[in-house]
Amino acid sequence: MASPGLRPDRMNRIDIQRGLADVTDEEVRRLCDFVYRKTGMMFAEEKRYYINRRLAERMEATGSTSFQVYFATLRADADNEIEHLINSFTVNETYFYREDHQFRCLTSTLLEVITPKKKAGEPVRIWSVPCSTGEEPYSIAIWLLENWDKVDRYEIEIVGSDIDTTVLRAAEAGTYGERALMRLSKDMIARYFTKLDDGRYRILPELSSTLQFTKANIVNAGQTGAHRNFDVIFCRNILMYFDDTSRRLAAENLYESLRPGGFICLGHTESMSRITSLFDVCRFSDAIVYRRPLGESHG
Amino acid sequence: MPLKKQESSHEAAGRAPEPLEVLVEELRHSDPERRWSAARRLGERPGAAAALAAALPGEADPRILEAIFTSLIRLGGDESASFLLPLLRSDDAALRGGAIEALQAMPAALATQIEGLLQDPDSDVRIFAVELTRKMPAEQATALLCRMLDGEEHPNVCAAAVDVLAEIGSAEAVPFLERCRARFDRDSFLAYAISQALHGLSRTAT
Repeated sequence: MASPGLRPDRMNRIDIQRGLADVTDEEVRRLCDFVYRKTGMMFAEEKRYYINRRLAERMEATGSTSFQVYFATLRADADNEIEHLINSFTVNETYFYREDHQFRCLTSTLLEVITPKKKAGEPVRIWSVPCSTGEEPYSIAIWLLENWDKVDRYEIEIVGSDIDTTVLRAAEAGTYGERALMRLSKDMIARYFTKLDDGRYRILPELSSTLQFTKANIVNAGQTGAHRNFDVIFCRNILMYFDDTSRRLAAENLYESLRPGGFICLGHTESMSRITSLFDVCRFSDAIVYRRPLGESHG
Repeated sequence: MPLKKQESSHEAAGRAPEPLEVLVEELRHSDPERRWSAARRLGERPGAAAALAAALPGEADPRILEAIFTSLIRLGGDESASFLLPLLRSDDAALRGGAIEALQAMPAALATQIEGLLQDPDSDVRIFAVELTRKMPAEQATALLCRMLDGEEHPNVCAAAVDVLAEIGSAEAVPFLERCRARFDRDSFLAYAISQALHGLSRTAT
């Protein structure tokens, strides 16, 4: 029975002590080019160590004896290696006020554009999709309450959606560890959370009861079709996992879910312009966002 | 609390599918919203590729053109590809560009056509065909482009192939690139492009 550890023939390609792959700059560039083409994620030279660690992990996991062998495995997508690599490059962790420059843009600019066109009683509708365990839609709610001086003048509907019903149940429960709250001040935590006996924090029911959580897959037009008339959509760090066809379909579905003139915020490594020409690019001081053109027709 | 929970259900409403001919008719409706909706829904209807492709030349709204191409991609297969391939010869850049993007997204259907396209009498079509290989599996694309390079007479087509090989090629491409450089030794741009490609490939191979 072979040892599950590192085989001697791999030792010249992976530094066991440091967990680094023995690769040239050009090989790293090719890997980064490949990841970029697949995901839109770009890794600069200063990320070399991070990339190298992830590459060493994947070479070890796939039994690749050299970069060439691993890259061939990756290109062939053997055993879903592209997904494994991308997952290893992605920190699957979310937290309150993540990428809050987009929330600043929401209150400083987007709502100032949207609300003057609102009729009396017409709500401001915001969609967080995918919402995972709720950190993003709750962050939007808290940000509005904390930072938008017109928050009392409008009815605001926030919907969080995800394909995964397990995370939706967690979002509805609204219970979080201290790490997820690291970007919130103590005062804000005190205002919006109750500390539980186990050291975790639960969002106040007065807040959690105002949000709606629903199941939706953004590439399923039947499901997104039930989510319409949003003024702002936060759809961050998901399109990069899709292939070109799914991205196009998701973009069209999201377009339909927005009101004309509505905005969509993507993750900072994502670009709608690389997917579709349906949206206008809006460069604001706090963020680049995409807008469904006003009027019936685009062109 | 100014935040309000929307009480209406977000469950997707079940909707009986319209007859195919009704959706096809909608593709010609004067209201762009109805054409857009029909274009999108036809992407879920096998057998709709011909009607979608027929709507392309007369459609002036780029948003609806994009939806038609997306639906053709979703339907996929040889039938969709057979309607997209003639668009590579279109004088309309939007149709050509849309067809290239769509064909790149259906590699299985493209695989049976690509060799013929790379030998097309029209050099522009050969350039578009080279672009189509960019998203094919690298080994397959490299083999196709190397074979083409040895017989290709048009420097612009060669330059397009060199550009793709520089991105996705491997050491196997080196002798083909060197032969191409020798054949076009008086074309300074092509010689430079090949040198750059060879430089990148040699660094990868070491």
